[in-house]
Amino acid sequence: MNFSLKRARAIFVKDYKEFTRNYGLSIMLFVPIIFAIIFRGAGPNLPGAIGFLLNLSFVLLTCFAQACLFAEEKERSTLRSLMMTPATTLDVLIGKSALVFVLSTIALSISILILGYKPPSLWAFVAATLFSIILYTSLGTICGLYSKTLVDASFSILPVSIIFSGAPWGAVFENDYPILKVLNYMPSSQLVHLLNVPRTGFTVEDLTKPLLFIMSWTVVVTVVSVVLYQRRLKDE
Amino acid sequence: MAVIRVEHIGKKFGSRAVLSDVSFSIAKGEIFGFLGPSGSGKTTLIKLLTAQLNSTSGQVYVFNEPAEKMLQSVQKMRFGILTDNSGLYERLTIEENLQLYRQLYSLPTSSIEKALQLVNLSGERKKKVKLLSKGMRQRLLLALAIIHEPELLFLDEPTSALDPVNAAHIYEGLRCLNSNGTTIFLTTHDMAQAELLCSRIAILFQGQVRVIGTPKELKHQHREHIVCVELINEESYELPINEETADQISLWMKSGLINRIETKEPSLSDIFIKMTGSELL
Repeated sequence: MNFSLKRARAIFVKDYKEFTRNYGLSIMLFVPIIFAIIFRGAGPNLPGAIGFLLNLSFVLLTCFAQACLFAEEKERSTLRSLMMTPATTLDVLIGKSALVFVLSTIALSISILILGYKPPSLWAFVAATLFSIILYTSLGTICGLYSKTLVDASFSILPVSIIFSGAPWGAVFENDYPILKVLNYMPSSQLVHLLNVPRTGFTVEDLTKPLLFIMSWTVVVTVVSVVLYQRRLKDE
Repeated sequence: MAVIRVEHIGKKFGSRAVLSDVSFSIAKGEIFGFLGPSGSGKTTLIKLLTAQLNSTSGQVYVFNEPAEKMLQSVQKMRFGILTDNSGLYERLTIEENLQLYRQLYSLPTSSIEKALQLVNLSGERKKKVKLLSKGMRQRLLLALAIIHEPELLFLDEPTSALDPVNAAHIYEGLRCLNSNGTTIFLTTHDMAQAELLCSRIAILFQGQVRVIGTPKELKHQHREHIVCVELINEESYELPINEETADQISLWMKSGLINRIETKEPSLSDIFIKMTGSELL
């Protein structure tokens, strides 16, 4: 599968121009920052604040923005036109995902700084956050490709929001409802496990286990998004 | 050399057959017009030729390769397409839309000006797409389709939203592209322009090609063997072409009674109506 940095960059620049002129969508950039300011006001050690902030932002910013970018292209038939140009699957997916990845990284970095969160291991935290951004960008791509309009895209992220953002909360009830143990394997729950690792006395396994879970989810969901895009090349 | 070769293709959506046993070929440098009423399968055919759909039966070859290969970047560089499914980025300007395509096709900056001139939009380049009229949008879509001066151009109703002046400008541009070697496959409802522009024409009806040939051949095949005579006293006659009519005309001519004499040649619209039994919508 070919990849052209020039073509991906052209798509990125086009998306950036569209995003900056789309106030309804660009306002989503402030969601994590607003939550960070609220949580900081409640005190820097508010339990679960960082997990809630990250998992919510991944859905409301990363996944939603990506779903909207794709759904709008589908609604206006520009995705079909793009598919008819020499841009390959990788050019389009990387070009279109790069904007959401960059914006999410910037917005979340500012939010974490505002919140004043200090991770037990910086490299593990950065890796988990970056993999999660890729994961939720791919989920957004899938939602966008399944949507025909922007309204559809807004509804399509509801299941993602319930299943992914809600998993750590659902897992709290695993003792009462053993079936909910499965929620521990969701990437959002694994991220919370990673964030809850104590700052002293942790083992490497405490960090690598949740990280591997998140990485595996990222790989699987990204592959699914690529396959789905390739199927959409056909207008059957 | 055939740029497009279609052999007995059929396409079904569920149990509904949209195309059945369609065969034709298009040589390099031709302007091939596909005429047919709405829903006759014209757009489906373009989608099959550009690998957006798979045929249910038969074979499609474009540039001597199976149509499936049209999804490869190398092949996409060779063709341009404008259909109902083509879209524009509303928040960007005309120039920004073209800029994206210029970069996707790795073209020089001058290609934007060339494309704008061809569709008569040079003066509007800074306008946002959401402020454009339907006709201007159609012209921009055409500019995006031809910016890379493709070897093969698919056009689905390229002038459907245009006024006669802009339509004429577009057709002039297409002639210019064609003279530079671009093969054009177009569907249109504009019979008069199809007749002037197309080197060959096919009429598609209910998923089947009913007639195919040059406009001259089609007119010859479907001509009515009738001669129309108008006399100086304003009487007019439609007479069958035979010896008796020849004698009668000869007699009138000797007497200096004939004002006008012509054979009755069908227009493409007449042929279309004859083939499909319906007016073109």
